[in-house]
Amino acid sequence: MSLMLDTGALFRRYFTKLVRNPTLLVTNLVTPVAFLALFSQMLGKLSVFPGVGGSFLAYLTPGIVVMCSVMFSAQAGMSIVNDLNSGFLQKMLVTQVNRGAILLGRLCTDVFMVVIASILVVLAAIAMGVSFVTGVPGILLLLATSAFFGLTWAAIFLAIGLKTRSAETLSAFGSGVAFILLFLSSGMFPKSIMPGWAQTFSAWNPVSYVSNAMRSTVLGGYDWGAFASAYAVTGALAVVAFAAALYQFRKTVH
Amino acid sequence: MTAYHTDDIIAVDDLVVVYPDGTRAVDGISFRVRAGEFFGFLGPNGAGKSTTIKTLTTLLRMTSGYASVAGAMVDRDPDEVRRSIGVVSQDTVVDVDLTGRENLLLFGRLQHVSSEVLEERVDQLLRVVELEDVAGKPAGRYSGGMRKRLDLASALVHEPSLLFLDEPTTGLDPQSRAALWEYLETINREKGVTIFLTTQYMEEADRLCKRIAIIDHGRLIGEGTPGELKSALGGETIELSFESSGNPELVARAAKVLGTIAGLSQLSTATSSLSASAANAERLLPSVITTLAKEDIHPSALSVSTPTLDDVFLRLTGRRIRSDELDRRTTEPFLQ
Repeated sequence: MSLMLDTGALFRRYFTKLVRNPTLLVTNLVTPVAFLALFSQMLGKLSVFPGVGGSFLAYLTPGIVVMCSVMFSAQAGMSIVNDLNSGFLQKMLVTQVNRGAILLGRLCTDVFMVVIASILVVLAAIAMGVSFVTGVPGILLLLATSAFFGLTWAAIFLAIGLKTRSAETLSAFGSGVAFILLFLSSGMFPKSIMPGWAQTFSAWNPVSYVSNAMRSTVLGGYDWGAFASAYAVTGALAVVAFAAALYQFRKTVH
Repeated sequence: MTAYHTDDIIAVDDLVVVYPDGTRAVDGISFRVRAGEFFGFLGPNGAGKSTTIKTLTTLLRMTSGYASVAGAMVDRDPDEVRRSIGVVSQDTVVDVDLTGRENLLLFGRLQHVSSEVLEERVDQLLRVVELEDVAGKPAGRYSGGMRKRLDLASALVHEPSLLFLDEPTTGLDPQSRAALWEYLETINREKGVTIFLTTQYMEEADRLCKRIAIIDHGRLIGEGTPGELKSALGGETIELSFESSGNPELVARAAKVLGTIAGLSQLSTATSSLSASAANAERLLPSVITTLAKEDIHPSALSVSTPTLDDVFLRLTGRRIRSDELDRRTTEPFLQ
């Protein structure tokens, strides 16, 4: 009971903070849509490559949704670092707040924002003429997958934030590692245009698994095999990320 | 073990806290705080004050010893302890994006205050700390003193029976400090909230606290009411200052000369000053001056003072509580 109520109280806090910092919020919400518009216009010629299915815009849509899961989950790490360094976490820890709610409230906020950003990307894609072959159920599955992947990333960022207590490390990791993973995956570009080494990297990259599965909701129809691999890879990643985040959290709050 | 009374809201026995790097921040302290008391924990920077507070408020694990707060063992039942305490830490902590009211509502919810009474209690607290006019503004726009008051109010929203304050007035301007003192006195007197306050300001402890424990290097070196501690010093203090550049030999020679005067005791010296205690210091002044003049020693200033807690600290430790700053001042090369 206290877990639910405390999670709710903290969700409210984080959400209010997001809304009160409109620059960050708008940037994060607009960037993926802008990427979708720009890339699909400038690289429209990729539409004829094998595996693209005739429309690079449709091909790119799930990749940009994955981008949302990574961008918003970085906020989880930033927020815990700020709370640690300002003393706010300690101030919460001397209250009766349920310890789990401190993590859960944060994760709920990030997943909520990942879903909002993903919906915006889907709506923008539809407005630009993409049609989802699987319809509304497929879009819901895509959003759920995006939420799960976002949750996993939030746990990764939380673990790094708790371990390093440094906003600089987090933003370096967020814009460096996360973007390398995004761009060296089949989510952004078809395998057929990549050099050999990038194809190898992309074949191991979790972002590729997730975007391949998501793409089947836009192009070609449900590929349950791809979904099985995507959830297996994300699930494994989630187990490691949550174990690391919980370990670091326990070390912090002892 | 000291006797245990049921009205002891804090009971600490032989508390030891060792940090992972081996520092013994708290080195076997024992004390009692009675319910309703305004208790002061006095000591210089790094003496172990914050470590003690962090341990009693469940943020740090003790290495050994016994500590109970509001009837619950700190190491075994931290949740029970958290129910009864409010904590104001050294750094002012408020959420700058939330309004003053939102800050209080958040902590009320985190402290599981029922929603029926929360709104009314928040309004009441905002009145007590005089923030009702700005309650709807983000706390980021508050001044330092206003933030501290909001911080204090958020520690009271669940009506704790015991309030811990770790150097609450550090960094506040004199006006905000005086205002905070008044709130604390009101909370203690009218609501019966026990207050445990750490400070390195002597006049703060003297003005507010009914009883004081003095801590240095992780150990308790004195305990009592401010009056008891001061009267234990025996009489007034004569202080002689010499030219600011400092002249330890001259001070030492002066100390030797003063040692021959009957009625002066407890001589202590610093680089450019010297102090001594006397039951009737004013009557001894003429002979102090003439005896020193005979030896061609001429102090630049001379004063007589009744003891302060600062003198108590000097007596107990051999240095002033803020000696770090005084030392720095005297060792700095004099700029021409």
